[in-house]
Amino acid sequence: MGMEDDILKDFLAESKENLERLDQEFVELEENPQNEDLIKSIFRTIHTIKGTAGFFGFTTLEGIAHFAEDILSKLRDKVIGVNEEITTMLLKAVDHIKAILASLESTGKEPDDIAYLDFIVDLRNFAERVVKGRALKTPQSPPAPAAEEKTETVTGPASEETSQTSDGSDQPSRVDEGRQGSAMETPPASAPVSTAGPGPRQVNPPAAEPPASAHQLTETHVRVDVQLLDRLMNLAGELVLSRNRLAQIAGTLNNPDLMAANQRTSLIVTELQEQIMKTRMQPVGNVFNKFPRIVRDLAKAAGKQIQLRIEGAETELDRSIIEVIKDPLTHMVRNSVDHGIEAPDIRIQKEKPPSGTLVMRAYHEGGQVIIEIQDDGAGIDPARIRTKAVEKGIITEAQARTLPDRDAVQLVFHPGFSTAEEVTNISGRGVGMDVVKTNIERLGGTVELLSEKGHGTTVKIKIPLTLAIIPALIVRSGGQRYAIPQVNLVELVHLGREALEWDVQTIGGSEFYRLRGEILPLVRLEDVLGSPGGRDRRDDLSIVVLSTGDRQFGLVVDGISDSEEIVVKPLGKHIKHIPCYAGTTLMGDGRVALILDVMGIAASVNLKGEERLREAEEKDTAVGEERQFILLFSLDPAEVFAIPLALVNRLDKISASQIENIGGQEVIQYRGTSMPVIRLEHHLPIRPIPEMEEYHIVVFHMNKRDIAFLVGRIEDSLNLAVDVDDRVYKGGGILGSAIVKDRTTLFLDVYQIISRHDPGFFAMPAITEAGRGRILLAEDSTFYRNLLSSYVEAAGYEVVTAEDGLEAWEIISEDTKGPFDLLVTDIDMPRMNGLELAAKVRGSERYRDLPIVAVTSLSSDDDKRRGIQAGINDYQVKLDRDHILGAIRDLLSGLSYKEAA
Amino acid sequence: MHGMETHLPASIEPDLKPSSGGGRQFVTFSVGRHSFGLPIEDVIEINRSLDITPVPMAPPHVAGVINLRGHILTSIHLAQRLGIPDTGEQKEGILHNVVVGSREEPVSLIVETIGDVCTVPWEQIAPAPERIEGIHRRFVKNVCKLPGRLLVILDTKDFEEPDGEDMRRDLGAP
Repeated sequence: MGMEDDILKDFLAESKENLERLDQEFVELEENPQNEDLIKSIFRTIHTIKGTAGFFGFTTLEGIAHFAEDILSKLRDKVIGVNEEITTMLLKAVDHIKAILASLESTGKEPDDIAYLDFIVDLRNFAERVVKGRALKTPQSPPAPAAEEKTETVTGPASEETSQTSDGSDQPSRVDEGRQGSAMETPPASAPVSTAGPGPRQVNPPAAEPPASAHQLTETHVRVDVQLLDRLMNLAGELVLSRNRLAQIAGTLNNPDLMAANQRTSLIVTELQEQIMKTRMQPVGNVFNKFPRIVRDLAKAAGKQIQLRIEGAETELDRSIIEVIKDPLTHMVRNSVDHGIEAPDIRIQKEKPPSGTLVMRAYHEGGQVIIEIQDDGAGIDPARIRTKAVEKGIITEAQARTLPDRDAVQLVFHPGFSTAEEVTNISGRGVGMDVVKTNIERLGGTVELLSEKGHGTTVKIKIPLTLAIIPALIVRSGGQRYAIPQVNLVELVHLGREALEWDVQTIGGSEFYRLRGEILPLVRLEDVLGSPGGRDRRDDLSIVVLSTGDRQFGLVVDGISDSEEIVVKPLGKHIKHIPCYAGTTLMGDGRVALILDVMGIAASVNLKGEERLREAEEKDTAVGEERQFILLFSLDPAEVFAIPLALVNRLDKISASQIENIGGQEVIQYRGTSMPVIRLEHHLPIRPIPEMEEYHIVVFHMNKRDIAFLVGRIEDSLNLAVDVDDRVYKGGGILGSAIVKDRTTLFLDVYQIISRHDPGFFAMPAITEAGRGRILLAEDSTFYRNLLSSYVEAAGYEVVTAEDGLEAWEIISEDTKGPFDLLVTDIDMPRMNGLELAAKVRGSERYRDLPIVAVTSLSSDDDKRRGIQAGINDYQVKLDRDHILGAIRDLLSGLSYKEAA
Repeated sequence: MHGMETHLPASIEPDLKPSSGGGRQFVTFSVGRHSFGLPIEDVIEINRSLDITPVPMAPPHVAGVINLRGHILTSIHLAQRLGIPDTGEQKEGILHNVVVGSREEPVSLIVETIGDVCTVPWEQIAPAPERIEGIHRRFVKNVCKLPGRLLVILDTKDFEEPDGEDMRRDLGAP
């Protein structure tokens, strides 16, 4: 019994492999119907299954295999030719065989289902029809192949233990495993209703070359338990550590012989480790292989013509990853077939070839494996995505209007999103792209979607080569080493003392760093880990900029060591629940280091992705407004004020006694100079700051000088879209008001307040000289419009404002308020954006040469390029007052003579 | 610390108390003033001070993680776990790891001194008393009265599983 069990197991394993191959072979056969080798190979597989099924007495299985073999024998003997109908029927047979095998594997019995018997009847009838209908004349024709094959049969059966050449009829004879294949029998014998016709010809040819290949297979491949491989890998890792220790000892003893021997061991150990790693690798083709069949079936069901091209099937990946990517890949291929590639008639209308192309491509890049699924279909229509997303309540109509196409396309990854007009049986099975994304990300990978309407879609998946060994950055904190998975790493920043002072701000308990104009929250690893040890003021700061996918933050560590490949080991039960760790690993010296979980850390300091979502929801209350970090503070608890965080250089605490009164001005000693401190109540109609022992100061560094506001309390810092209303409060140092966190908050005009306090503060000699410029300012956000005009006016220019590009263009073309010497414009504006405005201005007779400065909240190189193409002279970040004024000054002085012409 | 990973067989000095038929064998060790015993079949091995990597944010009784020939084990500070007042700081150099538990995930218990393996006749193994001074009662499975000392028998399973309470507290911590 045990032996029989073993044979059954082998049979199942082998059949499964063969059947996988069959799918692909059938599809190839359809393309290349003349390929005899293919037919033979298919025949062989089915034949083997039939024989073994007979041996075990699996009658249903045997029946299906039998009739499939019948049809195949006609194909092989060229009695009939391959056509789609036949292929489809045979594929169905393969499916049934697979199902039966699955049942055998799980229950040890054939499935007890009448459907299989029905199918046998269908198949039988089909086989009969094939034989009678098309091939009656042929029986005698193929003697030649028969002869050929006969010679082959001799070697045939011997090699495959399960290959039963004696067909159905005499079952008992194969109790002895049928090794001695009694070939030449007519196949139909066992089948009750066989197709007598071509019977004799079925000279059991299958054996032909199968033996050869099967033989090879047994010689060069062994099945190995994966656990054994894992254990081997562990041991190899251990060997590496022992070697390291040995090397140390050898170094101390300074014995040349020992060192030489050790070096040799070293090399071998390294090689050994590499090889063992390789044993776990499998070609991605193992997954790709099932797709020709899937694509064929899907395409057929959808009435489409699709060619699948597979590239880089030999690319290797850790087997555990291969397992996990199977389903996501299937889903994406389904998507491409179902939604991507158009029906042939539509493709023809669009002047594309009627048959669509789907490419599955795998390759290595930078220590990762990239898998691309590319179709040349209709692409994703951002408009449709928007509509759907609004329908499903994922975004509001207002958001939909302002959402750029590129971002709209990404909405398909949103949970609960499916663009299928209706649920078809191909896709829309409840698994969305969000699941795909989650699964890939769980592997430490990323999914990217690129789509061009009308030209197709490419989904690009990046995954690590292996889960067990990952590249990681080793950092130090609190005297310990920690590993950070490289996938999360964006960049490393090292700040010297100078930069530390100017670019790192502390707000309440949180620190921020200004990284190229963007505000990056800083998280100190020692704080996250609750390590004791004071925050000694260090002279420098090492920041590891990390990404959680939708958010970046800077992790402050004591030091950055090396980049290393590490072997990931799981956390023990006692520490598994700590969100900051993803695992443990062994370092070269044999000590353990913890692997940090970047998502976990982000979550533990509340940098959650959900926050973004929530913020996005708030966004529709302020359509068209840009988001920014603002700082909220108060003098008296009753009144809250806001200023853009980007203007703030530093927040600090001082004691009341530090304030000195010199020449009627209040100053404190700060960073080596006397810094003026402004009491806001002197310049604004607000309640004065109560007497306190300790005050907070908000320090600005402008025009190369420090100046500070004296405030009572720092309330908060928020990232939000500001919708400032300037109808109630405006002027006199106030930009307007807005409701922030349910309170009316006054937005202060920092520049105006400072110039009121010290009219000479912003004095720039060059400006007065070049001054007298008339500037048109187009900006849709009230807040920014007021802020910009405030400081541009403060610098001595005359400013005319417009609420969007169209209004600016009207002002220019109607020429009522001109002439203008310069245009300052926002890029993102409703009705007419900055680029369109610039193009129009450049196209006009009169203002062809008008200097144009674009201001954005953040600028990418891409934006800059487009801006320059549209004729924009300079690009500046909105809140960067000094640079904007500098740009205006330079442009005006450089171009003033042109204007005269 | 390299090269210190001397591997002592758990059945050290078995001759001192030859196992007679009618008893149970315990590996004994001490923490603070107490003597403890663990059933010999629960003990996988005993190691001298391995390098411990501390795990910030872990429950207080978790001393850290150690590398035992490629396996990474959690190291439990036994004194902490049992609630014994911490006095043994100065004994750092001679701490031992008693590796116990299942093959899948053993844990290492940090103890001060390793004693003999004793065979205790069944009749001397008594149920745990209501209260043992200075030790959390719930870890005590049995006690054995030996000449001149009380051997407290611990239950390995208690150390293998994390404590629900600890986990809740840690998760709730900021």
